Amino acid sequence: MKKLEWRQWLVVLAFVLVVSVTGLFTVRTVRRAIYWHYHQDEPIRPWMSLGYIAHSYSVPPWVLHQALGLPPTPDRRPIREIAREQHRSVNEVIAILQDAIVHARPPYPPPGPPPPPDNIPTKNPSPGQTQGRSP
Amino acid sequence: MNITDQVLAALLVYGLPVLFGVILICSVGVPFPISLMLVAAGSFVEQGDMKLWQVIAVASFAAVLGDQIAYALSRWGGRRLINRLSRRIGGEAKVKQAEALTKRWSGAGIFLSRWLLTALGPWVNVASGIAAYPWRRFLFWDVLGEVLWVILYVGIGYAFSNRVQAIAEILGNLAWVIAGLIVTVILGWQLVRYVRPKPEPDPG
Repeated sequence: MKKLEWRQWLVVLAFVLVVSVTGLFTVRTVRRAIYWHYHQDEPIRPWMSLGYIAHSYSVPPWVLHQALGLPPTPDRRPIREIAREQHRSVNEVIAILQDAIVHARPPYPPPGPPPPPDNIPTKNPSPGQTQGRSP
Repeated sequence: MNITDQVLAALLVYGLPVLFGVILICSVGVPFPISLMLVAAGSFVEQGDMKLWQVIAVASFAAVLGDQIAYALSRWGGRRLINRLSRRIGGEAKVKQAEALTKRWSGAGIFLSRWLLTALGPWVNVASGIAAYPWRRFLFWDVLGEVLWVILYVGIGYAFSNRVQAIAEILGNLAWVIAGLIVTVILGWQLVRYVRPKPEPDPG
């Protein structure tokens, strides 16, 4: 009989513990969901490729290639590889990309089509490409 | 660079072999950010870097193979250990009881721990092996659950291909919430049984 009571207390303890942990993770899940609901952009991580970052931030990939001085051909490498190749720190590369992203989005004019491979682009082409964007 | 970044960077560069290797060792019980990898693979499929059928086939095969290895090791290694221990310390009847219970309920347990309660997966593999759950039935539920798991997570990655990091964070937390809720219900049920007056024994 005594043994059973002792065991019951153990179950109560386990129950309280599990409820607390579940509650904690529920709060964390909801907080993350709310956070991501209001923050459209996820942080740039070293594993991401330029293609993925461009996709995630909805900017043309060539903008990012250009910012790092790379040809606008598809590049599947994670940015940490690019950083290593360019003798830069990953944080430096992330800062360059973030700067390029900011300048490719409103209120800046849209970047337009990619430049021809041989020309070094100097300014944004086609000012007529406003596409009815309202201020 | 944390382990998640390492794994995802490797997935991006080497593709399917990394997918296969990481899922295989995860099924045996090594904790890796595996759901994040499947979500990322789904995203890479959507962007045209990987092929959908290849990802699903390779990931499912790796998961099932890993589970079978864990099951086999537990069945032929773990069981021998249990037998020896129970003979020496006693409690053979209890081991038999536990085996009977696992045999009766394992189907649902195996299936759900493949895709819904993934944190329990490695434990269920070991428990099924030690309890000598029939191998064919284990394989059946394993394949069914793992394919569902792969399709589910790759599908989520495909649908939210531009939010891999965000989705994976939420999913990682959500998996613990679901596992916690199920354990809460089980323990709560146990408590209710303690509190409720025991039924009168049948007269006669």
